[in-house]
Amino acid sequence: MTSGVLARRRVAPWIAGAVAIVLLVVIVVAARAKPAEQRTADSPLLGHRAPAVAGAVISGPAQTLDYLRGKYVVVNFFATWCVPCRQEHPELVRFAAHHASLDDAAVMQVVYGDRASTVRSFLHKNGGDWTVVDDPKGSIALDWGVRGLPESYLVDPKGFVIYKITGGADDSGLEALLRQAKAGETR
Amino acid sequence: MTRTRVAWLALAAAVLVAVGVALSGGTDHHATAAQRADAIAHNVRCPTCSGQSVAESASPAAQAIRTEVRRRIDAGQSRQQIEAYLETRYGSDILLTPPRSGIGGLVWIVPVIAVVVAGGALVLALQRWSRRSLAHPSDEDRALVARAEQR
Repeated sequence: MTSGVLARRRVAPWIAGAVAIVLLVVIVVAARAKPAEQRTADSPLLGHRAPAVAGAVISGPAQTLDYLRGKYVVVNFFATWCVPCRQEHPELVRFAAHHASLDDAAVMQVVYGDRASTVRSFLHKNGGDWTVVDDPKGSIALDWGVRGLPESYLVDPKGFVIYKITGGADDSGLEALLRQAKAGETR
Repeated sequence: MTRTRVAWLALAAAVLVAVGVALSGGTDHHATAAQRADAIAHNVRCPTCSGQSVAESASPAAQAIRTEVRRRIDAGQSRQQIEAYLETRYGSDILLTPPRSGIGGLVWIVPVIAVVVAGGALVLALQRWSRRSLAHPSDEDRALVARAEQR
């Protein structure tokens, strides 16, 4: 057996071991990561007046953003075919229920590329008695600069967009943003 | 007029034309509304897909943008106004080519400046070389030649 073959035989297990370790690290990191974790993102809308959410109301009370002025509003873009949207839904229900009693914040949803009947049935099964507006042509999403689902925006009581949230929103994350916004108000 | 001066003038004229074309954004004054909408759609990044323009994508977001672009063209808006609107919604990265004004305009201006500087340097270098080659013979040189001829 030549020395070259022997050398290769000595190195090969080390390479295989290194590759295995890298793969293991990648698998562990991927497994521990929360799916579509809530993140705040930059948007040209931040600090500007919120665009209107004008469209056919397919569920909940026929309320506009102007009507909800005086409260914080989470404007959430979703579709029932979007898995992270389904995952975040209970979080929105919890957030809305908590703030309905405090009367300081509300949720409004915009349906992006989905059937009204499917959405109604989903809401009937999973809760969510807020205003749900249909956006079949994506014009509301365009006005808000939506890049993917789910995506949410926090609008302050004066009607200005203060946060953009990409990925699935969660109750604790929304509460944290609300606390920050209220702290900024009192400053 | 010396040859050098003509070269400088030609270079200056070329630069002026290049800057003019770059800043004008092309001439689409005679294009139809559909052609203008298509040209804009080719310059807008599809916000929900990767690596495709709005013109190439069939996603609902791309369709919505195409519809909005056409609506705004029909309403008499210019390409600059429509692109500015999209930037106010998605940010400047929604456009596939950088804007011709502001900091983005540097992308268009810097290459022109680089060409001017490189052209100028080339002209200067050529001038030096031609001066060297046209160097007048000194008295020593003449004496050398005379001596060589006498042999």
